[in-house]
Amino acid sequence: MIRFLRGAAVPVALLIAWEIYARTGIAPRYVVAPTEVVKTLWAMTLNGSIFKHTGRSIERATVGFAVGAFFGTLAGLTAGVLKPVENFYDPIISLTYPVPKIALLPLIFTWFGIGDTAKFVIIIMAVFYPTFIASFYGAKSVERVLIWSARNMGASRWQVFRRVVVPAAMPQVFNGLRVGLALSLIIMVTSELIAANEGLGYLIGAAQESLRFDIMYVALLIIGLLGFGADRLMRIARRKLLVGQTLGSEAGNG
Amino acid sequence: MTPFPSKLRDFLAHWYSVPLLLACWEIVSHSGWVQPRLVPSLMLIGQIFWRDLLSGVLIHHTTVTLYRALGGFLMAVVAGCTLGAAMARNRTIDALFEPIFSFGFPIPRIALYPVFIFIFGLGDASKIALVFLEGMFVITLHTYQGIRAVPNTMVWAGSSMGANSRQLFWRVLLPAALPMIFTGFRIALPVALIIVVSTEIIGESVGLGYYIQFASASFDDAKSLAGIAAVAIIGFALDRALIWLRNRAVFWQPEAVALG
Amino acid sequence: MPFLEIDHLVKEFTRKERVIRAIDGIDLMVKEGEFVSIVGPSGCGKTTLLHMLAGFVPVDQGALRLDGKPILGPGPDRGVIFQEYALFPWRTAHGNVMWPLEIKGVPKAEREATADRYLDLVHLEGFRDHYPAELSGGMKQRVALARILVLDPRILLMDEPFGALDSQTRELMQEELLEIWGKTGKTVIFITHDIDEAIYLSDRVVVMTARPGKVKEDFRVDLPRPRRLDIKKTPEYAAYRNKVWDLLHVEVIAARAQTPDGRA
Ligand SMILES: Nc1ncnc2c1ncn2[C@@H]1O[C@H](COP(=O)(O)OP(=O)(O)OP(=O)(O)O)[C@@H](O)[C@H]1O
Ligand SMILES: [Mg+2]
Repeated sequence: MIRFLRGAAVPVALLIAWEIYARTGIAPRYVVAPTEVVKTLWAMTLNGSIFKHTGRSIERATVGFAVGAFFGTLAGLTAGVLKPVENFYDPIISLTYPVPKIALLPLIFTWFGIGDTAKFVIIIMAVFYPTFIASFYGAKSVERVLIWSARNMGASRWQVFRRVVVPAAMPQVFNGLRVGLALSLIIMVTSELIAANEGLGYLIGAAQESLRFDIMYVALLIIGLLGFGADRLMRIARRKLLVGQTLGSEAGNG
Repeated sequence: MTPFPSKLRDFLAHWYSVPLLLACWEIVSHSGWVQPRLVPSLMLIGQIFWRDLLSGVLIHHTTVTLYRALGGFLMAVVAGCTLGAAMARNRTIDALFEPIFSFGFPIPRIALYPVFIFIFGLGDASKIALVFLEGMFVITLHTYQGIRAVPNTMVWAGSSMGANSRQLFWRVLLPAALPMIFTGFRIALPVALIIVVSTEIIGESVGLGYYIQFASASFDDAKSLAGIAAVAIIGFALDRALIWLRNRAVFWQPEAVALG
Repeated sequence: MPFLEIDHLVKEFTRKERVIRAIDGIDLMVKEGEFVSIVGPSGCGKTTLLHMLAGFVPVDQGALRLDGKPILGPGPDRGVIFQEYALFPWRTAHGNVMWPLEIKGVPKAEREATADRYLDLVHLEGFRDHYPAELSGGMKQRVALARILVLDPRILLMDEPFGALDSQTRELMQEELLEIWGKTGKTVIFITHDIDEAIYLSDRVVVMTARPGKVKEDFRVDLPRPRRLDIKKTPEYAAYRNKVWDLLHVEVIAARAQTPDGRA
């Protein structure tokens, strides 16, 4: 509890200072008092507009994330156990991995139009990489004795994959999913900032143009909560699903 | 069998997928199934790349992008390492800052860009600030965790050999945490590039992101792809440079060049 | 007819175009139900031999036969116990013991009950729902033993199974292994560095030479069974102990002087 209070000290102090500064009247217009932001949030909740934008953003991020993560993990795990698959992906991934996928965004807009398809495509691409790499390494680094002992107990190659490699790689797979989730939100916001007429990124852009800073902060707040909430969900899922593998190794996971 | 053809075969066995994909691209481009404007031939992309490289246009935009990315990144390295080390060594600083970092980490900070524009203006400063903020998070957390993860036995061994706390920090903790710190750098550097290119796409009049966005907006996909190639090259080169540096700094624990 | 037959076994490793001979013509016959220990200096090829028996590593020359049939790959007729336990960290003790039964397709109720029975056998019924990370080294190795026994293998192949345990736990495990061996009558090939362990447990002790590994000496341990730990105080036991120590000492010295490619 004391630790919690101390941890909250800096953010709370900042918020109070911010509120006072905003109310003095000498602050520039973009410094909006936190209480004003909450009021706007309440108003937007009452008229339902916040749900509309949040819903659209969540939809884009989730669909993109789910598809990208599915294919990334699947390809990564297969490449980890099958040499020909590894040979196919390895050069492509290692050449393009450090390249910011976001640079493709304008091009993808010209290919697919500025609708949702383009946003899905870019999110899927961005999520594919970290999930692929994490599950590839997860599958590759499964301890040899585990595989041997499974073979010794009569498991077929498929059973070894399904019942040893996949569960053993799971902690790494989750690391990849976590990175992918963060990326999907970043790309979601960016692509909505560039071209959209609904969604939280759009809301920020529109608020910026009409100088409605209170709305901008509301959108920022929601985006922050989404990022935080999604990450927490992921961590809870990880802890629930991987009981045996997370025992005694929680500390280093900040 | 002579060694040469077998080397060539190994090389092809490893790299075949890249030429294969490029060939597919080229086939699609010439097939007439899609408008050639949308999938321009590699030849055309190469010509435009070469033209803009010679005229200095690409170099100009690249310099701006690199300046923003590296500027923010280097500031984040200095600040992140300092703060991370301070948090790991001092309980009060830890209690004050650790929650901000662990709670704030999953929040997509790029959404702050419009606010930064108002604070720092449209030019370099807002982008460098955003890169700095983003890099700070990653580097601070990695430095912090790297130092915290040094096994006690190693520290005890050092102090029993007479090292004072200063020497312990510079000669035990820091080297032991270095691999982790470099992992942080390796995550932060591509992120720096992502941030700069994205913000340049959102609204700018210079930089590679702008170059790509402008080309796409004028339906010149070949030029857009030339810009993407430039981003790809610097992204790749920066990563390799960082690995080179890392393997010299952390010479006792080499890292594979390839993935991850 | 011998149960397990090792016939002129040779194994070489190629590393950077240099050939390293790890095993240089081993011949060994083991009868059904026999408990055979193999001791030898570090690096003499004991693990390699065991991995070939298990079918993980291919044979270069010579042959391996179990019950007259050549060994060509891994199979549940040979249960392997690894020094590193090789438990699945995502499964509880009970889940680990059930694992091979799932692979075999045993119905759920039956495999649950069987796994419980084998956990009883190794005295771990109280730790049924613990994950490997929550078990001590000795407990982990007992789970691994139960997991192998559940398949009812014809022979147990154990590679320094108690090597990572402290000496008290190790002695307890030795007693327990003997008890289980008495109940099940399995054939056991047991690799160890510990001379006491080899003599206390075995019907026969095989001493190997420094690399390339050959059989240096192969003799029976004629101590009465069932054996209790206090047998270690008898003069007969001490005589065996000294004999193995002398045999081994020469080889350990020879192994220490070796370069990687095997020249002394
Ligand atoms: N995969 C391999 N590649 C190359 N050399 C190997 C390989 N596996 C084992 N060797 C070599 O073969 C020899 C025998 O190794 P092995 O692991 O069987 O020894 P060991 O008797 O089990 O030793 P220890 O008692 O230390 O466990 C060693 O010299 C080792 O270097
Ligand atoms: Mg060994």
